[in-house]
Amino acid sequence: MASSSQLSQSKIDPSVFQRLHPRAYLERFLSEGIRPDGRDPGAWRGVSVNVGSISTAEGSALVRVGDTTIVCGVKAEIAEPELDRPEHGFLVPNIDLPAMCSPRFKPGPPGEEAQVLSDRLNNVLISLEVLSTASLCIHPGKAVWVLYVDATCLNYDGNAFDATLLAMIAALKNTKLPMAKFNEETGRTTCSHSSSVPLDIRHLPLSASFGIFDSSHILADPASFEEPLLDAFITVILNEDGALNSIAQSGLATVGEKSSEEVVAGCVAEAKKRCADTRKCI
Amino acid sequence: MGSRIETLNAGGYRSDGRRQLELRDFIIDLPTVSSSNADGSAVVSHGLTTVMASVFGPREARLRSLTLHDRAVVNVEVGITPFSSGERRRRGRGDKYILELAAAIKATFEPVIQIHLYPRSQIDIYVQVLEQDGGMLQASINATTLALINAGVPMSDYVAAITCGVFSTQPLLDLTSLEESDVPHLTLAVMPKTGKVTLVTMETRLHVDRFEELVRLALLASKVLHAEMRTAIRAHTGELIRAMGGSRLSRVPDREDAPGDDDQDEAMADA
Repeated sequence: MASSSQLSQSKIDPSVFQRLHPRAYLERFLSEGIRPDGRDPGAWRGVSVNVGSISTAEGSALVRVGDTTIVCGVKAEIAEPELDRPEHGFLVPNIDLPAMCSPRFKPGPPGEEAQVLSDRLNNVLISLEVLSTASLCIHPGKAVWVLYVDATCLNYDGNAFDATLLAMIAALKNTKLPMAKFNEETGRTTCSHSSSVPLDIRHLPLSASFGIFDSSHILADPASFEEPLLDAFITVILNEDGALNSIAQSGLATVGEKSSEEVVAGCVAEAKKRCADTRKCI
Repeated sequence: MGSRIETLNAGGYRSDGRRQLELRDFIIDLPTVSSSNADGSAVVSHGLTTVMASVFGPREARLRSLTLHDRAVVNVEVGITPFSSGERRRRGRGDKYILELAAAIKATFEPVIQIHLYPRSQIDIYVQVLEQDGGMLQASINATTLALINAGVPMSDYVAAITCGVFSTQPLLDLTSLEESDVPHLTLAVMPKTGKVTLVTMETRLHVDRFEELVRLALLASKVLHAEMRTAIRAHTGELIRAMGGSRLSRVPDREDAPGDDDQDEAMADA
């Protein structure tokens, strides 16, 4: 616990201080070079991935990044393709943040956070061509696969984006689709019970997220206590060969004397190491 | 013509290889590390049906207008993941089936939880169905019982739930989804020590002559489930005590007839 030499005369319980003055609480820790959960500012939480546990899904993954727990399932259905893209299937990702994962989320329809997360993940999976949608074609113009990638957060402790992207990638990698044949005469598709094929995955992008506190500290993998106190966020997405896929920055990324370009470059370098480590889990 | 599956064959075996009154694998997972925001949680599996229950509370009510002056309000929210069933189905929060499930769970636990101890408070129970293969309400109730105990919420007794059905005149226990769509069935939730029933739901037509036998079998099955739940809770509590340094107390005594045998984590920790 940080030294409290500047504290007022009355003694205050640390957990009460955390609730009343969260910013000051975090500042005290960071001035000693440590975070409330004991990590260094640049340290990442442990990752564990478990695939294939959901029997009803074509592919599934359960991912834990620290205490943030995401379960993701892939279900496949057959549908008619769009008229202007007759040889392409569909990939439909979605993330749900139910009230059970954190007291922050109220019961009811999806809140802002879940919608923003779903949108960001959709952009990543589609624009980075994780999966070739042409490979989902069964018969051009008649039948294509639709892959629903549904993720649900079971416990939220910050940085849902990294955990969910990892869960979706791991679930897609685990997915096997039955062999499908389209019958021209009847207009129906039959699927084989016995043989199944893994997906044609082109890329395995993984992300690393950072937060900037008080324009003076860069915190890797923000936890749920730190998240509302951060001024800026940076997310770096890297490919399996270390190539940079995307950098997303919201807020001003200057830290102390460093310019925002230097900060982002530093984050990219850290992200390379983190993604290389995380990749070993999938 | 596809091949049909026999619900109960001549040799007395069901489609998944079980005997008539055999229960599926009952797996209980209580968190050893309190890594979640919830005050208590449990993951329960009956065969391929997996349900996770999380309990928050008793805590300050979200809306003062929804509180009661003399007792706690119990809220239940059920979520069914779209990939949990054979056919993908995305159910909204206001889905009637989900609301009915939540109402059934709330009605089951309201008389069992000692809500008079927590006026003007709220106890939130969140149930997430991860995999479905029949017995969803059964698994939800069992998971909720364990999550409530894990959260230290005082209750009069465990609640054990089981589904039972009849194939022509033969009773079956713990039905899979294939069997549920085939035979008339009901779900029963029982407080095992007293044998009091807190819930019976039946949506199919069942002959009245069969009903009594099904209830009798369900009571027996609930005792079996209760024994499993007690074993899991005791093992979990024993580990907690060991972790807190009370190694001499690590063997939690099994006193079947002890009064006030509530298995509360806090109570044990104080011992």
